[in-house]
Amino acid sequence: MNGNPIIEGFIEAIELIVTLNPQVVEITIRSLYISLTATFVATLIALPIGALIYFYEFRGKRAVVSTLQTLYALPTVIVGLLVFLFLSNIGPFGFLRLLYTPGGMIVAQTILIIPLLMGLTVAALSGIDRDKRYTITALGASRLQTVMTIIAEARFAVMAGVLLGFGRAIAEVGTVMIVGGNIRGATRVLTTAIALNTSMANYSLSIALGIILLGVALGVNIVLSLVQRR
Amino acid sequence: MKTNATLLTAGIITILLILALCAGCTSPAPGGNETPGAGATTAPASGGNVLRIATTTSLENTGLLAELEQVYESETGVDLQFIAQGTGQSIDSGRRGDVDLVLVHAPALEQQFIDDGYGINPRCIAYNYFIIVGPESDPAGIANMTPVEAFRTLYAAGTNETAGVAFVSRGDNSGTHNQEKVLWEEAGYGYDTEIIDAGAWYVEAGKGMGDTLILANEQQAYTLSDEGTYLSFADRLDLVPVVAQGAELLNRYSAIAVNPEMHPDVNAEGAADFINWLISDETKQMIGEFGTEEFGKPLFTPLYAPECTEPPFNCTCAEPITT
Amino acid sequence: MAIIEAHDIKKSYGNLEVLHDVDLSVREGEILGLIGPSGSGKSTLLRILDLIEPANEGELSVFGIDTIADRGSWLDLRRRMGMLFQRPIVFNASVYDNVAMGLRYRRAPRDDIDRKVKDALEAVGLSRYIKSRATDLSGGEQQRVALSRVLVTDPEILFLDEPTANLDPTSTATIEAIVTRLNREANMTVVISTHDLAQGQRLAHRVGVMLEGMIAQTGASREIFHEPKDRRIARFVGVQNIVPGRVVSRSDGLTVVEARGKQILSTTPPPADEVEMIVRGEDISLHRREPGHEEAENLFPATVTAIEPTAPFVNVTVHCGCDLVALVTARRAETLGLREGIEVWVSLQAKAVHLIPQAEGGKLTDTG
Repeated sequence: MNGNPIIEGFIEAIELIVTLNPQVVEITIRSLYISLTATFVATLIALPIGALIYFYEFRGKRAVVSTLQTLYALPTVIVGLLVFLFLSNIGPFGFLRLLYTPGGMIVAQTILIIPLLMGLTVAALSGIDRDKRYTITALGASRLQTVMTIIAEARFAVMAGVLLGFGRAIAEVGTVMIVGGNIRGATRVLTTAIALNTSMANYSLSIALGIILLGVALGVNIVLSLVQRR
Repeated sequence: MKTNATLLTAGIITILLILALCAGCTSPAPGGNETPGAGATTAPASGGNVLRIATTTSLENTGLLAELEQVYESETGVDLQFIAQGTGQSIDSGRRGDVDLVLVHAPALEQQFIDDGYGINPRCIAYNYFIIVGPESDPAGIANMTPVEAFRTLYAAGTNETAGVAFVSRGDNSGTHNQEKVLWEEAGYGYDTEIIDAGAWYVEAGKGMGDTLILANEQQAYTLSDEGTYLSFADRLDLVPVVAQGAELLNRYSAIAVNPEMHPDVNAEGAADFINWLISDETKQMIGEFGTEEFGKPLFTPLYAPECTEPPFNCTCAEPITT
Repeated sequence: MAIIEAHDIKKSYGNLEVLHDVDLSVREGEILGLIGPSGSGKSTLLRILDLIEPANEGELSVFGIDTIADRGSWLDLRRRMGMLFQRPIVFNASVYDNVAMGLRYRRAPRDDIDRKVKDALEAVGLSRYIKSRATDLSGGEQQRVALSRVLVTDPEILFLDEPTANLDPTSTATIEAIVTRLNREANMTVVISTHDLAQGQRLAHRVGVMLEGMIAQTGASREIFHEPKDRRIARFVGVQNIVPGRVVSRSDGLTVVEARGKQILSTTPPPADEVEMIVRGEDISLHRREPGHEEAENLFPATVTAIEPTAPFVNVTVHCGCDLVALVTARRAETLGLREGIEVWVSLQAKAVHLIPQAEGGKLTDTG
């Protein structure tokens, strides 16, 4: 224990970031890649389904929506465990050999944020008030045109939901640790690297990665507030 | 609708997409020689070039694996992927066929793994010793005792609530944890019945070796550690080795391949190649020298024949695997 | 010819029945005013007539087409109509894109859209905002955008749901002027709902009064305002005096009604024995000296009991056996030197006294 490890850690962390330390850069890029892909895939799945839930009246619709809202807070380790069991060699999708790969992590994060994206899509579309829907109908929109106009009108709220989903994906550690295995050079991402390096007392690397993670979260929030101001 | 807002949206989405694509292209690059599959969602786990190894946190935390990986990858182009888990979990990963081989240190669990038909071609690689580390003031007064005596004394001090006496257990079914259990049993206590609920002095960390050492350091408690991890963490710890002698503290590391007859998908050939590389003299020399520069003494002692076939090791360490 | 014919329209939301058996017919080329208090079902009725939502029961034909039998025709019919809502609704896009929406739904050629949108914005005085984001405009400007958006589609029937309820006088005047002109020049049929009686009187050829989910009375606005069919309508159209009485005789086209010992003449044939007299405050004249008595006129002395200014008028309550409220201009009140306690002469033409049957249980309880 020499000097103050926190201050030294910070100084070294800044150095690691400024000098674009290859390990830091690699982990950051991988983190962004996995979470962006997961967000993208989740968006492709959740948006149309969310829109369907909103536009179609069916029995148990309220139950579906409140279930989705409950799943917002789906514990990441539970998703991790389930995806792990499904993707493991003994599980039904073991043949895909996705466990301990970035692909498996993308699957896990996608599953993690789909309820959030679906719920927020429904909420965003519900945010279009009744009078606006009447106006669209009154202007002579066909059913499809109505749907398209409402979606276009809710685009910023939907985008805000997508950003929130990305924020949740990149910041979570539970699923990627279990499903990814934190393999150096293959599945190690910002959060798992921070956990590992902290356990190895490499505080400076942890702090550097932590600063980057905070930066990403901050960036997401800035874009989010820009979007919500619309 | 052609509005600024739509343009902005389109712009952001485009940037995100480009980022995603770039990341897809570049993420394998920093690793040097990862397989193309590493970045794709359909990465074949047992593709010829990837070898997945479940291993113990105590090996990962020393930095030995990183060094072995670097050398092996540059020699052969094989992508070694180490998944650091406790020994118990690692062996389970092997049983499920989620990995191609395991690198562990719990002889009893290893034997079970092999007897059940999941593990083949075990080769012992190296050993060091477990040590009992604790605060320099040694409040329980166990310095220079035999390990079993030390555990008995710790138990007595702990249950008497002697000030400053606490013991941190890994509590994660790792090799080190298994070794700890063996020591409690040898000291005459039933682990499940007497130790786990022995009182506030007995703390289960549920974490890897490095974390456990740091936790013990924060609490100024005793713990059982492998020598290698302790040495690699020593500069960040106030804890000192209190008990470091005794045959019970032997810590043997072995590599065991996963049986392809149980899991046809595993990379059996890669596992055999890697094990053969591990038991080669050059590699053993490298393992034997690892840490000397940094810690003043090696962290591991490689095993050579015929020493390894005799007690207390009783294992195979030199016969290459033929496939 | 009736362009819209509705019979027995019923509409419920959940357990709440908003419309009960509404009958209404709208003539081609007229401006029909729907007046009624908030919550009386005006907006719901307009939405049903515009085929935005279906009624639960009833018959509805629009442009001579039975919409109940022919659900497939709704989109086409709806595209021949337009509706402007009470709250200004604009979409999060440019003013141009907002106004173009209806035309784009109809897949109009681009050149047409461009020309019509520009003309329409010119007409409502918003050309300079053509590229602005519509949500950045003021409420009045947004409502004008919304009006242009409807008008570019050249609707044959225009529904206006309290279109000026929250607007400044200038925007209100602009919108009223446009509606009147379109009705006159393009023969556009207009149905406008409003709770502003003056607006109803100003714009509409014919007025329908909606109360509690039903059309209570339809007719020329003079008829509605001076000859309401019942007490509720009278109250709603702002009749100050509803005085119960009993019919005592009928001769020479004049009905004599006795109320609190005073006999009052009315030209209305007696609808029942027990009646209520409906008298608008502005039809009561006050004089300091006894004026010459004219034919078919009620003339009697009274005492001023209360004076309540409601600029530019003054509500003067006089006592003459029963209480009456007269509406006089502030200037007239000044000329007369009105103050509480003085004696005045009250004159009231017999044709300004409208009689309705007395409501059950409403006997002598309320003089309005």
